[in-house]
Amino acid sequence: MNIHYLLPFIEAMEGAFQQLFQLTPEALTPYLVRKEEVLDWDISGIIGIAGEAKGLVVLSFPAELAQQLTTQLTGVVKTSLDDDVTDAVGELVNIIAGNAKKGLEEFELLISLPSIVQGPSHQVTWPSGPVPIITVPFSTPGGHFSLSVALENIITP
Amino acid sequence: MRILIVDDSRIMRNIVKNTLTALRYPDDIFLEAADGDQAWSILEAEEVSILLLDWNMPGLNGLELVKKLRATPKFQVLPIIMITSQAAKYNVIEAVKAGVDDYLVKPVNEANLEVKLRRILDRRPT
Repeated sequence: MNIHYLLPFIEAMEGAFQQLFQLTPEALTPYLVRKEEVLDWDISGIIGIAGEAKGLVVLSFPAELAQQLTTQLTGVVKTSLDDDVTDAVGELVNIIAGNAKKGLEEFELLISLPSIVQGPSHQVTWPSGPVPIITVPFSTPGGHFSLSVALENIITP
Repeated sequence: MRILIVDDSRIMRNIVKNTLTALRYPDDIFLEAADGDQAWSILEAEEVSILLLDWNMPGLNGLELVKKLRATPKFQVLPIIMITSQAAKYNVIEAVKAGVDDYLVKPVNEANLEVKLRRILDRRPT
């Protein structure tokens, strides 16, 4: 499998976390996700990709970590998945997808506005067809989160 | 200076505002808009010295707003810095062609924002 094109997303995520939270998340072993898989997270930020490739970038967190990161950004203690937390998760996935375009400049890509899915056992509607979905889990002192990428014609079986 | 910060993320607007405050622009007045349409209404109604503008927003997006402003005589020289996640070179070129004065990739870095603001302020007539 060609996962070389996953690197710009990982680098974008690391850059965003270093700049915004002074954190360097540790990448754990990536794995393939089935389209129908239920996500074991509480909140996901999703960006659609169009242009010379179609796909999705999904950033998923447990509630506690999303609240903790938002607390760091706003200076206000967050105890629920309120509007600020959804704003923060949406903006984070937006920054990761937008920054990753720099490492994928051989493809002209468009990114959508972020959308948010939340609640226990939520699902994501992935692109149809044989597009691999690769998830990279990350570890931080405040808990784990994951970055998933599916990119038709770019990340190929 | 009257600085209009346009971003659909309230958190990002606050980060930019806090960064500018930390850069010791204490007399600045900050105006905020969550999309291009809101920004256009503010620009028509109030004096704005500089526009700090996101690209990806619902409604009128940042690039569309730049094109609309540059096609309007009274906004042709309004200083605009685009602050966006869109980091590809072809995005920068598209924004510059549309008429932005400068371009900054998110997340906002204090030093970079200072350099870009200073560059624009130094160009202003005294």
